[in-house]
Amino acid sequence: MNLNTLYNLRWTVLPPVVGVAITVMAGLALVSAPTEVVEGDVQRLLYVHLPSALASYLSFGITAVCSALFLITRDFKWDAGAQAAALVGLIFTALTLITGALWGRPIWGVYWQWDPRITTTLILFLIFAAYLVARKSSELDNERIARFCSVYAIIGFLDVPLIHMSVRWWRTLHPQPIVSRLDPALPTEMLLVTLFSVTAVLLVAVWFIVLGVEIELLSQRLLKIKGRVR
Amino acid sequence: MDLAYQYSCLISLTVADLKLTWREKSAWLTTALFACAALLIYSFALDLASGIVVSLLPGVIWTVFLFAGIFSASQSFHADRENGVLDALRISPVHPTIVYLSKTISNFVQLAAIQIPVLLGATVLFNEDIFQINIIMIVLLGTLGYCSLTTLLSALSFGSKSTNLMLPVMALPLLVPLLIACVEATASVLDDTPDGAPWMMLLVLFAIWTTLISALMFPLAD
Amino acid sequence: MSAINFLFAGFAVFWAGLFTYLIVLQLRIRTLRTEIEQIENDQESDDT
Repeated sequence: MNLNTLYNLRWTVLPPVVGVAITVMAGLALVSAPTEVVEGDVQRLLYVHLPSALASYLSFGITAVCSALFLITRDFKWDAGAQAAALVGLIFTALTLITGALWGRPIWGVYWQWDPRITTTLILFLIFAAYLVARKSSELDNERIARFCSVYAIIGFLDVPLIHMSVRWWRTLHPQPIVSRLDPALPTEMLLVTLFSVTAVLLVAVWFIVLGVEIELLSQRLLKIKGRVR
Repeated sequence: MDLAYQYSCLISLTVADLKLTWREKSAWLTTALFACAALLIYSFALDLASGIVVSLLPGVIWTVFLFAGIFSASQSFHADRENGVLDALRISPVHPTIVYLSKTISNFVQLAAIQIPVLLGATVLFNEDIFQINIIMIVLLGTLGYCSLTTLLSALSFGSKSTNLMLPVMALPLLVPLLIACVEATASVLDDTPDGAPWMMLLVLFAIWTTLISALMFPLAD
Repeated sequence: MSAINFLFAGFAVFWAGLFTYLIVLQLRIRTLRTEIEQIENDQESDDT
């Protein structure tokens, strides 16, 4: 009921809000946020890197939840949601890895570091890429494959804590170059900009997922119409 | 659901599957040959003359085992699907989880029967004391951990061709924790260092986790 | 490459990525809608 009326606002409210939020975010991140003392201006990458990471986790979480709902209800609209969210999650994971590499080079001196968080993110990318390839390589209305891929998405999501744990043990039991992960408590201004950026990027992610769901639903409808014509 | 009945079904299904595999021969023989050939290729590629065998050996063994496991899993439901056994079981009173468990046990027995001789062969080839009880324990635990997951994933059929391609792509990222834990545990046994305990724990945890979740999920997936 | 270039490269990739994806999504929705409309129109003209 309420959820449906809320969902109907997606064309009228969501686009302008997202547009304003993301523009304001760019201004805040580049101009208003104070320059970090140690790292200098490069630290402003935080305002796109961290929100992208959170958006990817949110998207993959939505994929897992939608997959569970699909397994329970067998309603293909949840399958559509899972696929759309997985694709958005992949985009944001890629953006996280790229911005992270570009941030790591001037600060750590290397683009890539086999750090637990980075490695987990990369494996997460591979898992959901496999999910999406498996799902897309079959017909939209193939219920068996849709169910199977939902199971895979849930297992993949539940595997993440184990992956993170294993990679962390692996890295900490070995000698490794010291990465300054001191993260001193952020000053209030930076914290506010960070929070705003996180909100803005999560809104973008939600909008993308909504558009993706629309595409999946339209494709399902097209398939049905084509079936009727034949 | 009658537990005693399901249990007897589990036993008879497993035995039937193993008998059939034994009689067919081609599936487990190709897996065994694959494992041997891969071991050989790795030892050539990594040039064992360089004298750093011990530090590379756990990685070599486990990559070979993982790929052999995926190789064997990709054939595991093949015959059943062709002969319509899966459809017959679906309308029978046997619970899907029992079907899954019997297949996993059968796969596990096959893989263990292949891997133990490979360990023996590696002992001879690499002049390293690999064939010892600790490593066999690790191998059995690791095999249980990955073959319960690959068996679940192999139940998927994408039609004729892409199934065998999809299986490694889907399974390998999920198996990263298992691979790390197995390699580290094996290395700690070979180096005689005592830091293998957390890895053994992770291995046990992973084996329990994959078996439980696959047994729960199989009825939904198939 | 000085540090500030990395900042600009990162921001450029981020915004370019978002906009490209948005455009791809919109185009896909448009093609699907026109295709559906076309088929429905064809059907209606067949019926009459």
